[in-house]
Amino acid sequence: MRYRVGALALLAVAAWVLPYRLDLYAVHVVDVAIVFALLAVGLGLAMGIAGQINLAQIAFFGVGAYTTAILTTRAGLGFWPAAAVAIVAASLTGLLVGLPALRVQSHYLGIVTLGLALAFVNWITNAAVAGGAEGISAVPVPPLFGIDLASEYLYYYLELIAFAVALAFGLFVVRTPLGRRMRAMRDDPLAAAAVGAEVPLLRMTAFVLASVYGGLAGILYAGLIRYVAPETFSIANMFLLLAMVIIGGRRSLVGCVVGALGLSLIREALADFATFAQLAYGIVVVLTVVFAPTGLAGIPARVRDALRHHRRYAAESATLQPFQPFDPAPEASTVRPAVPVLEIRNLSKRFRGLKALDNVSLIVAAGDIRGIVGPNGSGKTTLFNVVSGLYKATGGQVLLDGEVVSGTRPYRLSRLGVARTFQNLRLFGNLTVHENLLVALDRTPTRSIWRYALWQVGVWRHDHELRRQADELAARFGLENFVEAPPGALPYGIQRRIEIARAMASSPRLLLLDEPAAGLNGEEVRQLAEIVRSIRDSGVTVVLIEHNMGLVMSLCERITVLASGAVIAEGTPAEVAGTPAVIEAYLGDSAIVDAAEPITSESAG
Amino acid sequence: MQVFFQTLVGGLSLGAIYALVAMGFSLVYRTMGLVNFAHADVVTIGAYVASTFYLSARLPFVLAMAVAIVVTGCIGVVIERVLRPLENKDFDLMLIGTIGFGIVLQALAIMVWGATGHAVPSPIRTVPLEVFGVHIRTYDLVVLAVAGAAMLALVQFLQRTKRGAAMQAVAMDHEAATAVGIHVGRSNAIGFSIGAGLAALAGGLAGPLLYVSPTMGASLGIKGFAAAILGGFGSIPGAIIGGLAIGVLDAFAAGRFQGYSELVTFLVFTAIIMIRPTGVFGEKTVNRA
Amino acid sequence: MTRSAGGITQESSPSAGVTLTVESLSVHYGGVCAVSSISFVVGQGQAVGIIGANGAGKTSTLKALMGLVPRSGGRIRLGTHDLNKVAPHEMVRHGVGYVPEGRHVFAGLPVEKNLLLGAYARAWGKETDQALAEVYELFPVLGEMRGRLSGALSGGQQQMLAIGRALMARPRLLLLDEPSMGLGPKLVDDILRVLLRLRQDGLSLLLVEQNAKLAFEATSDCLVMENGKVAMTGPAAELRHDTRVRRIYLGL
Repeated sequence: MRYRVGALALLAVAAWVLPYRLDLYAVHVVDVAIVFALLAVGLGLAMGIAGQINLAQIAFFGVGAYTTAILTTRAGLGFWPAAAVAIVAASLTGLLVGLPALRVQSHYLGIVTLGLALAFVNWITNAAVAGGAEGISAVPVPPLFGIDLASEYLYYYLELIAFAVALAFGLFVVRTPLGRRMRAMRDDPLAAAAVGAEVPLLRMTAFVLASVYGGLAGILYAGLIRYVAPETFSIANMFLLLAMVIIGGRRSLVGCVVGALGLSLIREALADFATFAQLAYGIVVVLTVVFAPTGLAGIPARVRDALRHHRRYAAESATLQPFQPFDPAPEASTVRPAVPVLEIRNLSKRFRGLKALDNVSLIVAAGDIRGIVGPNGSGKTTLFNVVSGLYKATGGQVLLDGEVVSGTRPYRLSRLGVARTFQNLRLFGNLTVHENLLVALDRTPTRSIWRYALWQVGVWRHDHELRRQADELAARFGLENFVEAPPGALPYGIQRRIEIARAMASSPRLLLLDEPAAGLNGEEVRQLAEIVRSIRDSGVTVVLIEHNMGLVMSLCERITVLASGAVIAEGTPAEVAGTPAVIEAYLGDSAIVDAAEPITSESAG
Repeated sequence: MQVFFQTLVGGLSLGAIYALVAMGFSLVYRTMGLVNFAHADVVTIGAYVASTFYLSARLPFVLAMAVAIVVTGCIGVVIERVLRPLENKDFDLMLIGTIGFGIVLQALAIMVWGATGHAVPSPIRTVPLEVFGVHIRTYDLVVLAVAGAAMLALVQFLQRTKRGAAMQAVAMDHEAATAVGIHVGRSNAIGFSIGAGLAALAGGLAGPLLYVSPTMGASLGIKGFAAAILGGFGSIPGAIIGGLAIGVLDAFAAGRFQGYSELVTFLVFTAIIMIRPTGVFGEKTVNRA
Repeated sequence: MTRSAGGITQESSPSAGVTLTVESLSVHYGGVCAVSSISFVVGQGQAVGIIGANGAGKTSTLKALMGLVPRSGGRIRLGTHDLNKVAPHEMVRHGVGYVPEGRHVFAGLPVEKNLLLGAYARAWGKETDQALAEVYELFPVLGEMRGRLSGALSGGQQQMLAIGRALMARPRLLLLDEPSMGLGPKLVDDILRVLLRLRQDGLSLLLVEQNAKLAFEATSDCLVMENGKVAMTGPAAELRHDTRVRRIYLGL
């Protein structure tokens, strides 16, 4: 930590004295580079952190610059009031661009944002108020307490401060709950929703953030060059910006800055060979994408991994600690309430003619451990997906504690107390284990984002509290040695435990476990059973899908058997195991039972 | 009334060009689930190669087009091969990869042919037809005919040939396609190069209609893309309909809004995409991303 | 070319089937060992079943044989040919047919196109037309629906289509992954009949099934897999009366 503060201080001093070593032209280059760095940070926030393709960043830049220019030259506003309006205009544009992001993603979003950028260029090239192809010149110098900002040397300091604040804010966002939620959404929107992230709103937020940075960059640009023209806001520059962010490493804001500064300087150095420069950075983008997707910023990590020779993280020092049981729920709450925690009434689900669920009804009382079993393709995971909000039922209802929740979105169900794990493990691969837990622990509604703008201290305190809780949770599940690892590097059994810990982070009342024992060995299965029992004892109702019949028989008090989308049996393990219909569903023939030994008391488990 | 029809005719012929661009996009999307952001620049290269061979080498126009198609086909193969490791793994990165290729292609175009561009005279020097007072250039009819022929040929290829069926199969199910003996990467490469060839066709034909410059691909590309989406991404007939629609819309917008035509086209397009992302023909043969 | 009673024309060799030898096959997925060094043989014209509970490693075994998932160890031989270096898309040219779990028909293409694609590795023409006719004879319902989009077919029909598609390439070894999944008893019976007929024609079969009964009736020998290893092997006729099998499935 001290090392970091020292390095930062050194960097700050270096940045402060830089202009003294440079001539006027060089300072101009640096000034422009900082503007692009600001743009790159905004783009990085949208693309790298939130995973939203944003090819309209150049348009946000243009809105900021042009609004400032127009209001100062045509409407006679002072520079700073114009700048204020420009920021608002840019954010509104961000909102507008974010709207399509609610409906479409990936390449559709790419083309829509690109189209809007082109539309913007088209407008400024033609509109009289924007000066047409000649642009707007004679933008006034921003007044600042008598400091002559016409001097590029002095303007540098204005930019430096603005940039430092902006970068600091960006890093603040990334390292706090909002940034983590966005990163989780980027890694796996489904799982993010399941742990309470309101994905659509987060997408909008990403765009608004990007647009604010773009607008700020535009204002600074207008004040620096004091001339705005369409060429600066062209698609070619958008792609240049994209190249900066990709080469620098879009997932790291510092990487984006390095990419922006680096490419700006190289472009300047190769100004006489502009086309060669373009060829070069186009090739570097392709190479980066194929060989080094994490960009320059990702190189230290890759070097580290290579030096470690891909050793499994669970080396000598890192071992799984024993699970610490939850405190059992107080007596009062173990008295079964009349209303079941989960009630499924006549649930049906069709996929284009295929009936995945056929009139399924079941009731899970509070404090139960219920098993859902059945052969492959019997609809078990579909059932979970409907209950957890991923699918909409075609018929029937799902009730949580007596309230109808059918059709509720996953993030809302998460807030209502439903948590789940996934058959194929959906941990956030680019977040550490600690961060996976932090995301799930964060129960604040998305609207509390306002605190980022106005009450950062509150955010900071909240983040601290979350970290404390995450440490506790990790310790309880024996994961304290793994908290800084990316989950993908860990053994499978540990990943499964992390997913359960993450599910429990949201303090659910209903926990759905989808094949939690898949891929686990005997000892791990035993530990799993212990964990599940403890979870139940703490007051959570557990429903699990499993194929490991030994686990199901010993763990679950009641079992529901599904086959071909319908319930074919329900009862205690012993009852179910002896039902011919069940045996037939699994083995294909109940006659196998007759040829075998009758169920004795010992084989009843 | 006459102005209306004149605008319509102009819009249709340009629309045929957009349709060709759209078909290239749709084909690549339909077979690989990928939007190729380098497509527009391939159009530019096609236009340059065709016009260069036509003007400087004095090749017959048709032959010059053929050369352009071969050249861009090779470019398509290169792009697919380089980006193959990302196929089916990270769509966003692949998209950015194609953007990178686009940047490279545009730089190459400027390096080889200079930044200013040139005009291409129409290869057909007959007197324009006069139908009810509306001038119809023979070249416009040729463009429409070529676009129509290309569409028929493409549809025939996809429906009737083994390779075409294989390309569709790959889009639907990689694993099953591999199991029956289809090499997924090679199939994708063919799809990509056909798409690129269509881009060259569009660019080459557009030469006499527009001004050949390094940025011509951008405008054509964007409108072609919009056309592809409007018609239903992945649908070849949809690409034609979408192309003609955008062409006509563009022509009328240019008449009404002059320079703002692109803006208008874009807003209309965005609105439609928001309401109905699957476009007019609403095909969703490729279920990706 | 002789036309045998089953209707599937054989190559001009005495029997269509071929021996599959698997030695110490292992499959790892990101830290999990799905298949742990298993070995078995499918003789010429023999039908072998692999049964076991879900997650036992059966599907991983088949996919690894086809090369659809990477093998972390082991050798595979078809007859005298070493298949270790053969790319997945070339397997069909070596005579290996594959019917994937969950059918995986080309949903947007019509039935006949699906079948024709099964013969992708060969030139389309008279020979494939003949193969097509034979498949329609084996599965009349496919003949009736030849122009329909295969995505519109029922589960059972899609299963027939998937098997027919694999047969179009005249394989010498047919790998089937849970053909009975999601199908009712009558359809499972139909599948059984088809498998028995293919056996009659001398095709080597490797059948992965969760439905043990089907496996016992369709094959001559079975392997029971558990946690990536072979827990038991033996003739189907004996295994079907063995209580240990039930215990492995039902955990009792």
